Amino acid sequence: MTRLSGGLIDRDRKLSFTFDGQVYYGHAGDTLASALLANDVRLVGRSFKYHRPRGIFSAGSEEPNALVELRSGARQEPNTRATVAELFDGLEARSQNRMGPLNRDLLAVNDLMSPFFAAGFYYKTFMWPRAFWEKLYEPAIRKAAGLGSLSMQADPDHYDKGFLHCDLLVIGGGAAGLAAALTAARAGAQVVLADEDSRLGGRLLAETLQLDDAPATEWIAALEAEFASLPNLRVMRRTTVFGVYDHGVYGAVERVADHLTTPGAGVRQTLWRITAKRAVLAAGATERHIPFANNDRPGIMLAGALRAYANRWAVCPARRVAIFTNNDDGHRTARDLIAKGVEVAGVIDSRKGVHPQGSYPLFDGAVVSDSRGRLGLTRIEITRDGDSQWIDCGALGVAGGWNPNVHLTAHHRGRPIWDPEALAFVPGADGPAGLIAAGAAAGRGELAAALADGATRAAQALADLGLAARLPDLPRAEASPAGQAAFWHVPGKKRAWVDMQNDVTVKDIVLAHKENMRPVEHLKRWTTLGMATDQGKTANVSALAVMAELTGQSIPATGTTIFRPPYTPVALSVLGGGDTGRHFRPHRLTPTHHWAEARGAVFTEVGQWMRAQYFPQAGETHWRQSVDREVLAVRVGVGLCDVTTLGKVDVQGADAAAFLDRLYANTISTLKVGRVRYGLMLREDGFAYDDGTVARMAEDHFVVTTTTANAGLVYRQMEFARQCLWPDLDVQLISTTDAWAQIAVAGPQSRALLERVVDTADLSNAGFPFMACAELSICNGLRARLFRISFSGELAYEVAVPARYGHALMQRLMELGEDLGATPYGTEALGVLRIEKGHAAGNELNGHSTAAMLGLGRMVSAKKDAIGALMSRREGLAADRRRLVGLVPETRSGKVTAGAHLFTDGAEQTMETDQGWITSAAYSPHVGSMIGLGFLENGDAREGEILIAANPLEGESQRLRVVSPHFVDPEGGRLRV
Amino acid sequence: MLIPHPLLGPRDAQEFTYLGDAMMIDRPDGLAEGAEAAFCDYVFQRDNPAGLHRELWFHEQGDRSWLVVTRNTVTHEILGAELARDVALARRATDTPADQGDAQ
Amino acid sequence: MSDLKPISALGAAAPRLLTLGTLTLRENPGLGLASLALRRGGTAPSPFGLTLPDPGGWAASGAYAAFWTGPDQWMIEAEGRGEEDFAAALKAEAPGCSITEQTDGWVAFEITSVAGGAPLSRLMEKLVNVDAAGFGPGHATRTGLEHMSVFLIRRAEDRLAIIGMRTLAGSLWHAIETAAGRLVAV
Repeated sequence: MTRLSGGLIDRDRKLSFTFDGQVYYGHAGDTLASALLANDVRLVGRSFKYHRPRGIFSAGSEEPNALVELRSGARQEPNTRATVAELFDGLEARSQNRMGPLNRDLLAVNDLMSPFFAAGFYYKTFMWPRAFWEKLYEPAIRKAAGLGSLSMQADPDHYDKGFLHCDLLVIGGGAAGLAAALTAARAGAQVVLADEDSRLGGRLLAETLQLDDAPATEWIAALEAEFASLPNLRVMRRTTVFGVYDHGVYGAVERVADHLTTPGAGVRQTLWRITAKRAVLAAGATERHIPFANNDRPGIMLAGALRAYANRWAVCPARRVAIFTNNDDGHRTARDLIAKGVEVAGVIDSRKGVHPQGSYPLFDGAVVSDSRGRLGLTRIEITRDGDSQWIDCGALGVAGGWNPNVHLTAHHRGRPIWDPEALAFVPGADGPAGLIAAGAAAGRGELAAALADGATRAAQALADLGLAARLPDLPRAEASPAGQAAFWHVPGKKRAWVDMQNDVTVKDIVLAHKENMRPVEHLKRWTTLGMATDQGKTANVSALAVMAELTGQSIPATGTTIFRPPYTPVALSVLGGGDTGRHFRPHRLTPTHHWAEARGAVFTEVGQWMRAQYFPQAGETHWRQSVDREVLAVRVGVGLCDVTTLGKVDVQGADAAAFLDRLYANTISTLKVGRVRYGLMLREDGFAYDDGTVARMAEDHFVVTTTTANAGLVYRQMEFARQCLWPDLDVQLISTTDAWAQIAVAGPQSRALLERVVDTADLSNAGFPFMACAELSICNGLRARLFRISFSGELAYEVAVPARYGHALMQRLMELGEDLGATPYGTEALGVLRIEKGHAAGNELNGHSTAAMLGLGRMVSAKKDAIGALMSRREGLAADRRRLVGLVPETRSGKVTAGAHLFTDGAEQTMETDQGWITSAAYSPHVGSMIGLGFLENGDAREGEILIAANPLEGESQRLRVVSPHFVDPEGGRLRV
Repeated sequence: MLIPHPLLGPRDAQEFTYLGDAMMIDRPDGLAEGAEAAFCDYVFQRDNPAGLHRELWFHEQGDRSWLVVTRNTVTHEILGAELARDVALARRATDTPADQGDAQ
Repeated sequence: MSDLKPISALGAAAPRLLTLGTLTLRENPGLGLASLALRRGGTAPSPFGLTLPDPGGWAASGAYAAFWTGPDQWMIEAEGRGEEDFAAALKAEAPGCSITEQTDGWVAFEITSVAGGAPLSRLMEKLVNVDAAGFGPGHATRTGLEHMSVFLIRRAEDRLAIIGMRTLAGSLWHAIETAAGRLVAV
């Protein structure tokens, strides 16, 4: 096939591409579809169910048939529509859904078995025998089903996201959209104009209709020049607005580099979140076809597409074509094709008494009733008044009328309404607030009307915003009559396809009707009509019409389909947006992170935080060796651990103490300045929530800490209490978590070490006792905060300095503490130390435990009202007799497994006899065996008892002895020396 | 969704976290007579209206204000937003339950 | 002065500086920060001669500036005082207010354009859901950026500051650098 004359392709730029390995040539401006047609390739794929040969059906994003795999290697992308894939040099494309070569697909046998694949066949066929499903049916179906295949490799490209804000978003850059954008942009509004095509013009690019007696492309070119000069207008080509969300938020995908071989340093696609005060939907219309027997052969396509290929891309699938229409627009296709030198073998118009609009044979009151051609159309059968004749043609354009693209108006469950004049669904009045349809999308697709409508709707939208817009002088448009008659399908015994993509025929709809799957929602699911990549853009209305005919109801009474985002398929990669891998999510680094990294620390992710887990030393081959060493260093010398991750909140105000009394279950107001107290927070339902320390820096100034995991949630809760519960209290809050680098200095030598860095303070036990705090200076004048608190059970402190000094302070402490055995320890050792001391942490504070269970019941003051205090005393919670206990294996080498459930020795192991569970377990270098913490029924009265810890997941059963949860220094003497 | 922040104008809902019914402002007095029954209602009982709902949103990625937002749960239309603190203070002054204030 | 040597939020001895096309990104460790909150019923002071701005606003006076962070709450900026106890200095200027040291709670990235405001608008639309057209000089807001909480300050038509949590400095720099780099790549 040689090219026709004219068109909007760049004949000076020749591009090579391959399809199923064969090399072809096209031009810049081609789509893959137009280039394939220009190379006489009509067969481009196989249908989903029956593996029927299929060709290009449309010239736009509605394409149901021409789904291909693009590119290769990691960039291989299945199910892309050839009709919107811009051709680039070196493009690789492959047909899909075939076994063997495309022209001899082995699965074409399915077509012979079509009686078995009727509507609902999944539900009927594979029910029996039941055992066959998993072993035979499902694997076979999985192998045969689906369309393209994935590369199974990571996507090498980058994707981006962004945010736009505008007064008016214009969706679609055809006649109506261009007029709307021009009107609004000239009025000075912030305007975004988005169009899915690579160039502006929409349907104007596919037509020969003139504007001001000149080709429409001249008007478009002049507009584009003006657009470029308007800074308040942003034109986004290759951008599909795919969804409408609440309050004027729109989702759009910009295909930044899909038309390039690779994106290079740039991104492949960008996901835009557009916040628009108003939007004009100028998305145009999609042509529908007229089902008839064997209407799915390559070469049979929408008439408007045939015209678009001829006018825009200068190609026609055959030398000799025919048109099947129920409207005037079909005749325009015939005229345009003749003007391009294509032979029109006939226009078959279902209407009686129409006249030809050019020199072509007209069959009025006739239908196309069958077709032939194994891998592509060769002949059609025309039936008029019961007489049939066959004529030769290599392509058939089918013109069944145009459906306004109302999809976005239905995204909030808006219901399109039936327009009996236009014979189409048009946008209803219940669409998304702020979205106004214009032009063909509103059923006003005649060119002059579309232009005027676009301008008027934009002005109307701006008027809503209080912006005045003058209507521009619009070009005089050539008339494009659109008379049509209702004619939905050609009745007959053979299969007539309604939904090409899902192989749904008129027969399937008849069957669905028989089986009472008549509501449109049932019809869809029973037949798969309107599913998959095209979402039935060319099929749904025709299917409704067929169902209406069967039920004897009107089309609107039969139903409308619900459209949901996305309008066209959106790749998951771009929805994922932005970074993958290491930068997939932000990481918080502690002030000593780089120091720890230089020491070879192994890090663990704790929420967003990267925390040092342990610090392996030369010769250590197992993490346990490092952790045991770190734990022992704290018990005998001094250990250093970055604890900046604990949440810190600055609480000030005259009522700060009263406020904290209501926030914590225990009393805070009695705390003296310069002292710290452990604080327990409950949830309002009475369960334990979070714990930390409360330090009183001044009468009206506290610094409280939270657990690492709950820092954000506790702060939110504190603001809730401050603003919503007790707004009359004088309290001010602000987080200071990041501001201070906080280092735990723990172990019997901690005081000796700290005395070497503090400038003047008296750290003696009397001068700075257990639970003291102070603001002081260290290292010759650096302001610091010192807290004498302990998580390990040893003499211990936490010292805080402005975060930028954390790194240097850690280095200094290590240097000065060398002779004291200063050892950095990580979260693993921290965990072992706190289990040895019997301190509750996240494993115990898991939302299912009460203060009493934690052994902290007496902390909950009954004298005051605090969050959760009253509910902690309610019957169900107060009656809970599980208590925190320590557990050790009966034999030293035994195992303790967190999560295992506890049973009385010799008892049957059932839910009813369950005595509790193990919350935390670790190897304790101090005890010399594994140890655990757990909740146990009457645990405080069962010391010494042997229990069975059952771990059915691993088939384990261990004998454990109940001991005090304080494995280290139960009297607390070490803390107070 | 956009939340009309009373001080900052419309802000994307992604900046907010949602808590629930604005009745949570009306915390019972834990020391009062019959407090346990009142707390059981406060903690566990929620209306689930199809239609107007006054609810608490926290501007976590913003100014850290708690807002009382009046939203139609059927249409997602938002009829107004107030600072929860103002609602709570007014509640104290007039004894109007927080879930029955005026929608703007 | 202490003999401990500070490091930058990005973990180096010197602050990071990078030029990408028309934009320059600069880590600003010299920015002293302290929060100022009014006590209940208190009236707004004028520390360092600053008029504390209304919601969404930023106001500067010499080396000092203030931006609104919440009802009755502001952040006070002091250029060149990142090493000092700026909170103590502010306390003296705003007696009766709640002052909290914030300098090292944050990392400030100052972004300068040599081509006017347009590149900053382009950068903003890739980073934050804030309308750049309505975010001229004198505006400040807190919002989310790649799941991080940040303050944005439009210091001038050609200057934008992004102030993020200090512990997230690396991730924040990565986000800004990536977005700015892609503006160059286009």
